[in-house]
Amino acid sequence: MTTPLQTDILTGLTALVLIMTFIMVSHKSLTPTIRTYAYQSILLSILAFLVGLFTGEHQIWIIAVVTLVLKGFAIPKLLNYIIDRLKIRRERESPLGIPTSLLACGLLVLLAYAATSRLPQAETSLGRASLGVSLSVVLIGVFIMATRRKAVTQTIGLLVMENGMFLAALSLTYGMPLIVELGVAFDVLVAAIVLGILLFNINQTFDTIDTRQMERLAE
Amino acid sequence: MTDILYYLLAAPALTAIAAGLTKSQRFQEMANLVGASVTLVLGAIVTYAVVTTGPQSAAGSFLYADALSALLILVVSLIGFACAMYSIGYMRHEVHEDHFPAARLRLYYVLFHAFVFTMLLVAVSNNLGIMWISIEGTTLASAFLVGFYRQETSLEAAWKYLIIGSVGITLALFGTILVYFSAVHVLGPASGALEWTTLIQIAGQLDPLVLKIAFVFVLIGYGTKAGLAPMHTWLPDAHSQAPTPVSAMLSAVLLNCALYGILRFHAIVSPTLGSFSNTLLILFGLVSLGIAVPFVLIAKDYKRLLAYSSVEHVGIIALAIGIGTPLALFGGLLHIFNHAIAKSLMFFVAGNLNAKYGTRRIDAIRGALLALPATGIILLAGFLAITGSPPFSVFVSEFTILNAGFASGHYVAVTLYLLFLLLIFAGFLMSMSRMAFGKPPEGMPRREVSPWNTAAMVFLLAFVVVMGVYLPAFFVDLLHQAGAVIAVVK
Repeated sequence: MTTPLQTDILTGLTALVLIMTFIMVSHKSLTPTIRTYAYQSILLSILAFLVGLFTGEHQIWIIAVVTLVLKGFAIPKLLNYIIDRLKIRRERESPLGIPTSLLACGLLVLLAYAATSRLPQAETSLGRASLGVSLSVVLIGVFIMATRRKAVTQTIGLLVMENGMFLAALSLTYGMPLIVELGVAFDVLVAAIVLGILLFNINQTFDTIDTRQMERLAE
Repeated sequence: MTDILYYLLAAPALTAIAAGLTKSQRFQEMANLVGASVTLVLGAIVTYAVVTTGPQSAAGSFLYADALSALLILVVSLIGFACAMYSIGYMRHEVHEDHFPAARLRLYYVLFHAFVFTMLLVAVSNNLGIMWISIEGTTLASAFLVGFYRQETSLEAAWKYLIIGSVGITLALFGTILVYFSAVHVLGPASGALEWTTLIQIAGQLDPLVLKIAFVFVLIGYGTKAGLAPMHTWLPDAHSQAPTPVSAMLSAVLLNCALYGILRFHAIVSPTLGSFSNTLLILFGLVSLGIAVPFVLIAKDYKRLLAYSSVEHVGIIALAIGIGTPLALFGGLLHIFNHAIAKSLMFFVAGNLNAKYGTRRIDAIRGALLALPATGIILLAGFLAITGSPPFSVFVSEFTILNAGFASGHYVAVTLYLLFLLLIFAGFLMSMSRMAFGKPPEGMPRREVSPWNTAAMVFLLAFVVVMGVYLPAFFVDLLHQAGAVIAVVK
């Protein structure tokens, strides 16, 4: 399949993906968080490109390009446009401090590794280690959504989850069938747009996008 | 007949486009009604073809409809038709009352049929990845419908719906990837490794541990969208804040689309895992039933009451599938149909009450029988139906499930089921009798909201009444075949 050196390169990049997720958790303001998301997506795209190169599965390149354009550039641009228009800059209120959040995310990584360690070894060059990473990224995405209150940050949490999913598909099976990957990418784009429009509506109606204001629907 | 699946998908897609092309409200309504009727006819034809000649496929192995798909297609197109009819009267009234500008009606009809399209695509996708995309598509198409009034409460509900729904669905994708992974292990990276028709044939050879984790992710993921407790928290908000015809679609049809996804995976993992998925389904089913009880008992808002009742009924269906004997499967699948009909009927009643009284508070409504003669009677019939009282259709399926549970020795589960049903009946009785009887407010004219609304309700009521005493042989065949799809190799 791949030479040990190639495998090491892929594993190293996978580790970088996880580190980027931690950087996102450590940022307080939105702009660098979005920038890190863009970097993470570009990294995933490079990873997909290399997997295609090393294995000769050239259809992965299509996915790499779509990921680069969509998640590396289009969606971050959309998010930046939204925070510009809505004039939001900082995410001050996180109920947990940054150190506690990072610690919690570390625990999530342990959990993810424990959950995936007993699975049979994938025959792909990315293998089991990256499955642990991808589940970690997914769980940290959930964590971001649960602890942050700003609607934009919740959107980013969702996108981080999706990036983890992308890595999972890549590491287990060299990605899903092409049509499915394209469909998923399309869904992500539409979801980002729908969330964006909804944000504008919410902003017009509530004059804030702090989701804690949204507590009218209690029993 | 081979092109029938294309036509089925084309009908709602073209309807959405047609409604979007014009500014004339009359034309939009006409496109809506004609499109929904055509979709219903095509849905019925597909169902008939599947029952009489076996599974249909098209576009190679891309589109595929077996009896389980046919049941979902029937529910989507039938309820879709009733809701389209009801929409005309209801949305006219909402525009008249100035709840939103008339220009936004176009968006409503476009999204409504796009929503129907995505749900039909769920039913006919052979590829589990495409099915996932379609289920995510249903969320995206319906999010704006939930937030349609653009008030604080409806936008809050839409936001919650979209965020929680998307998290759930992403977890389901992880489960799907794992199933694909285990199939690739067996088949090699063949293109069919994500297709239902391939997967079900190699289901017995898949890695048990991978499947276990996969099913848990799928159950939590699609379960969130299906409204299974404790992942149901978005549901009462979304279902109560949406315009009423959309509430009916969400409660009666959309939940079933997500359940359908779970059923497919249940069938795939069962040959290797035995009763692992059955136990989980019974557990989540009972928790859903149990969680619904207190909220039904203390409900103050009748649309939320109906939404919690949907959590209850999804629980009943999950319980039946979990019990898993042929009789239980028959009851559970019949319940999918019966609940869909009875629940949309009740939402139509709720919409008329809301239009007439201008409130969703149960204690602010008196004398519906006098103020709305037809709706009032249907309110009482629908209440008896939805709580599973004889002689209506829901009673038949709930009683079948009860029998199946006792026959297969699930005594504890069935006893809890019966207890919860009784409590929920009591909760409904308090709320519904308060609204139906008594004197309406002074000076309220004795008049129905719109003939369109009444027609839609009578249409559904016919099913509730007739199917309480008589099941056509054709329909019984459909349910038996659909049950056989789930219980393939055991």
